[in-house]
Amino acid sequence: MDNNFKISKKTKIVSLESAITDNIKPGNIVFLGGFGHAIPFYSSHEIIRQNIKDLTICRSGADILFDQMIASGIVSKVIFGYIGNPGVGLSHSFRKAVKDHKILLEEWTNYSLILRLHAGRMGLPFIPSKILQIGDMPDNIKYMKTIKCPYTDIDMSAIPALVPDVAVIHAQQADEFGNIQMWGVDGDTIEGALASNKIIVSVERIVDNSEIKKFPDRTVIPAHRVSAVVELPWGAYPSYVTDFYSRDDKHYIEYDKISREPDLLNDYIDEWIRNIQSIEEYIKLIGKKNLKELQNGMCGLKSNDE
Amino acid sequence: MMNDCRTLSQNARIAVLAARDLQDEKSCFVGIGIPSDAACLAKLSHAPNLSMIYESGVIGTLPYSPAMSTGSPSIAYNSDMITDSFTVFGELQAGRIDIGLLSAAQVDAFGNLNSTVIGPYENPKIRMVGSGGAHDIACLVPELIILMPHDSRRFVNDVDFITSPGANKEFAETRLKNKLGSGPVSLITDRARFYMSKDGWKLDAPLAGYSYDEATEDLPWDVGKGINNSITISDDLFNAIRYLPYLEAKN
Repeated sequence: MDNNFKISKKTKIVSLESAITDNIKPGNIVFLGGFGHAIPFYSSHEIIRQNIKDLTICRSGADILFDQMIASGIVSKVIFGYIGNPGVGLSHSFRKAVKDHKILLEEWTNYSLILRLHAGRMGLPFIPSKILQIGDMPDNIKYMKTIKCPYTDIDMSAIPALVPDVAVIHAQQADEFGNIQMWGVDGDTIEGALASNKIIVSVERIVDNSEIKKFPDRTVIPAHRVSAVVELPWGAYPSYVTDFYSRDDKHYIEYDKISREPDLLNDYIDEWIRNIQSIEEYIKLIGKKNLKELQNGMCGLKSNDE
Repeated sequence: MMNDCRTLSQNARIAVLAARDLQDEKSCFVGIGIPSDAACLAKLSHAPNLSMIYESGVIGTLPYSPAMSTGSPSIAYNSDMITDSFTVFGELQAGRIDIGLLSAAQVDAFGNLNSTVIGPYENPKIRMVGSGGAHDIACLVPELIILMPHDSRRFVNDVDFITSPGANKEFAETRLKNKLGSGPVSLITDRARFYMSKDGWKLDAPLAGYSYDEATEDLPWDVGKGINNSITISDDLFNAIRYLPYLEAKN
């Protein structure tokens, strides 16, 4: 084909504000990406700022982003395998919401939640598995059906599909058309994105389509599945992004103390979420010294150059 | 001279005792904290070919600094492979990962574990983190090792919620019938090693430096007299602790 031939393709790049307004509605089931790595903190904070209520949020292993969403009062239900502050302790807002009966639980395990997303991703109503047959089951699992294997007669759990309305994830890079490239720890991020009807992606940087074509095997979500792309450098802080910056463990430890006290937590949410108008303000709040340290930290720029 | 384990921190004692149960060339599914520390110690001493698999999808790593999450930079950094959680849990379900290591808030005589709630599920006194991958590991892995600090509140006759199922008669029958993993084989505390019998946990032996009374203090179960006098820690394993300075620092 003539190399000068150009196809005019639609850009998926939008403002964060419209990415969230146009794609997330009250009552939606929202999958939030990031298994320790590349957690979409900043774009999820926009959901809090827009006060989109009555949400169901889901993923397998959830950390303090879930705690912040629950504390902000916009979550009516969680579908999960784990909610905590990994390596530190409990999710205090989750604990309080359960105690006060302010949140509905649909509790699974990490593997069953991943299988639910995988079934959703494949367009199947369920996936058989050996788990969830012995032990105590929360009510939602008690209603789960079992199935006899038609070949071996062995009893198995029929793990039902989960199809979120929208996934919010963070990745390293995308082109303007919405080809998403992510590397490092995935966990269930791609599973959850491809299980969802719509996908919103924030990235550290927008690159030219020719960059994408250099390593197309790094593309984890193709453009036609993506609804919106937003460039948000540092958008996964205080989690980390491989080849960009390390995890701010201190922030997670500090959050444990803050989230125990409602007044402190309210101030934190004002400072880090409600009063923030732009990603530039978020980066400013992280602080110059901290930015430098995190960039040079493990899995950041320095460790990669060594 | 015998290595003096009483000089070690509580976490280090659990980790060295558990490391003994991890043989070379096995694969093990590990969580963050003492399970990961135990596997590191085994790998740095008698089991250089031990394969460590994290639920985040990371395989073949040796974190020298403490990781807070299985997806943390120190787990991902310097690893041999990063795949997704779906793949590693699939390997587990297919019976291709040999050993699992778990900890929890409560354990009973048959190795049922609770990491979900203290109190009733609908109205808990303390709502904890939930299963994560713990239930899945307990159901699927051929050999499960349970790690617990010696704290009498953790050892109970009935756990408040069975997050991760153990090896009582009913569960053992289902495990066999539906081809699940066979469940808990050993319980490691910072004072002793116990093994699973058809009547529940029995004492193998106290850790060197600890007495029978200390090893069984406040346990609500009849764990017998022990089959060995004491467990000594090899020089290799004892010396490996210095590679994980954070293990000594904690407590």
